[in-house]
Amino acid sequence: MNTVNRRGALKIAGLAGLAATLPACGRGFGGGSDKKGDTVELNMVWWGDSARAAKTQAALDLFQSAHPEIHVRTEYQDSAPYKDKLVTRFAAGDPPDLMAMRVDSLREYAGRGALLDLAQQGGKLDLSGLTDAARALGVVGQQNFGVPSGLNTVGYVVDKALTDKYGVKIPDGNTWSWPDLAAFATQVTTASAGKVYGTNFETWTIANLIVFTRQHGEDFYTADGKLGVTAATVTEWFAMVQKMRADKGFPPAGFIDPNGGASPAQSYLAKKSIASQIIPTNNFLNYNKVCGGQLQLLRMPGETQGTRRGQSIDTPALWSVAAKSKHPQEALTLLNFLVNDEAGAKAAGTTRGVPASQKVAAAIAPVLEPDDQRATTYLTELQNEKLPASYSYPIGASKLTNILKTISTEVEFGRKTPAAAATQFVGEATKALTA
Amino acid sequence: MTVLLTKPPALRTAVPKKRKRRPDRAAYLFLLPWLIGIVFTVGPFAVSLYLAFTDYNLLTAPRWSGWDNIREMIGDATLHQSLRVTAIYTLVSVPLSLAAALAVAMVLQRGVRGLSIYRSVYYLPSLLGSSVAIVMLWRYLFGYQGVVNRFLGWFGIQGPGWTSDPHFALSTLILLHVWTFGAPMVIFLAGLKQIPVMYYEAAAMDGASAWRQFRSVTLPLLSPIIFFNLVQSMIASFQTFTQGYVMSGGTGGPAESTLFSNLYLYQKGFGELDMGYASSMAWLLLVIIGGFTAVNFLAARYWVFYEN
Repeated sequence: MNTVNRRGALKIAGLAGLAATLPACGRGFGGGSDKKGDTVELNMVWWGDSARAAKTQAALDLFQSAHPEIHVRTEYQDSAPYKDKLVTRFAAGDPPDLMAMRVDSLREYAGRGALLDLAQQGGKLDLSGLTDAARALGVVGQQNFGVPSGLNTVGYVVDKALTDKYGVKIPDGNTWSWPDLAAFATQVTTASAGKVYGTNFETWTIANLIVFTRQHGEDFYTADGKLGVTAATVTEWFAMVQKMRADKGFPPAGFIDPNGGASPAQSYLAKKSIASQIIPTNNFLNYNKVCGGQLQLLRMPGETQGTRRGQSIDTPALWSVAAKSKHPQEALTLLNFLVNDEAGAKAAGTTRGVPASQKVAAAIAPVLEPDDQRATTYLTELQNEKLPASYSYPIGASKLTNILKTISTEVEFGRKTPAAAATQFVGEATKALTA
Repeated sequence: MTVLLTKPPALRTAVPKKRKRRPDRAAYLFLLPWLIGIVFTVGPFAVSLYLAFTDYNLLTAPRWSGWDNIREMIGDATLHQSLRVTAIYTLVSVPLSLAAALAVAMVLQRGVRGLSIYRSVYYLPSLLGSSVAIVMLWRYLFGYQGVVNRFLGWFGIQGPGWTSDPHFALSTLILLHVWTFGAPMVIFLAGLKQIPVMYYEAAAMDGASAWRQFRSVTLPLLSPIIFFNLVQSMIASFQTFTQGYVMSGGTGGPAESTLFSNLYLYQKGFGELDMGYASSMAWLLLVIIGGFTAVNFLAARYWVFYEN
């Protein structure tokens, strides 16, 4: 009998074996540092794109020729998978020697003894060129676990090509208020007959909400590592965006794919779907390049109307050394080069922000590309103003982005009121920081 | 079938004694890759069972925490949401994809010219379906300004953001899953070919309609294959990860609407550095899959028909 029986079924089942699952292997980093002959091999990892890679390599080439005894093996990733890979390296007992560290992860690593205390390492690393505020970005208590790879802040960019085309006047970027932004955005949308939306920014990006919170006289994170923002302020934040969406200044719900890729080239600004947005200032050059060179860099709205200033000097990433590095001295030599070497800084540009050392920043400013110069001027002007102190991200801070993203989506689609969403956010965020 | 297992007598005398082997030994040879593989899975299995009862942040040594993780799972609303997403996805997409697979298999079975080409064309998506590139492509197709909405725009309809709207994102992923019916289809095709034509001839002689033939001949004789496909698809679907990860950039969004259990597990383990809890979740998932499979096997007694 040639019909289906148990054995026949099993044979056919074997076919399923043919549909083998292909393991998904990405470009990753693995392997530790080893001494080969007389040279020490250092492993340095960071996140970014190929443009940043080219500039980083140019700086490292200079380092290599000055230090033939050290071989730097560098590896990079996109920012989201970077975080996951890094922790896997640590878990496997094979951490990189020098690594880019997220600001909101610093204390999660440092608090568990994974990072080298740079304050205890003697004279190899010279941080005298940094302002106290810049140095503080990597300090936890009395210890120093990271050095800012550069300085940045958030800014508002407006595409002048679009506003000129539709005849809308850009408000004064030094004094504009949030209502000014809302009015401007609606004008653009109306003037373009809905072809271009006036503005969009990520409601769920913590750095954006931090500015708004500070303008309201509150600390987002307090000095003792707690959540300082109140539900009232978060309510206002959600309500403000909701109103802009209702007035058509903001795109309709679902228009923006929040996971559509974060690179400037993939941005809605580059696609000319929106006329303005918030960016980290170190990315200004890249954004301006893909948007046609007509971007204006404005301050954040509300800086002159709030209880106090909202913007602060931040860093896109910190450099940290693993506590278990086999070659901490060599890693410090490399780190010192990255912080203090002018030729190296010239080669690297400001892809990771304005050099943290003021001396180096001043030295390279004249040779930067014009867009990098504008971003640098923007930052140094801000650095010379009196801004309220900001405090380092507490343990658990890295969870807050996801919490805020989920909740702000609920508001976007009208499934939660701003007030209910704000209460939920404060509750969940407080729990995440204490857990 | 037993004929295959007993050797012809003539051959038995001809074969020297030392080469006489019990036929099932060969099976072990074929099982060898699996047996070797087990060495690499048993270790991690045991470790993850241990980790399930610890507080482990990946940076410092695990600390025994007893039933803490299990207690936490009971009150974890996000976990419950992720199980809900996974269950809806499985219960909707598995029957739909099996129905699509069977329908296409039956059409191809009718003796289409260039069958192998069609077979490959329909099989292709299941090779690509969980690949990053295809999920990216779907995101472009189903984006707010994507191809689908542009098409709807011709009729004056403004479609939603199929992947960015929490009301639709999971449905879009279900559609993607249904589209990848190739693997069960190939198995159905093989199964259909094994049903003797004489049954259909006899049925036709008795005046049975096409639908009656399908219900009374095809379905019963194909039931072991359907059962096999059902079990396989359900297990695979409970383990879905890539689609949710890529579509939502790893967040399970919009608003946790595509937060599959495995994606939440990954977030907990590698994002929030809570590998102990992630291990607990892995075992919870194992128990759930085991439970569903057991129910499947019990139910099979009532509807799966083996001819001998």
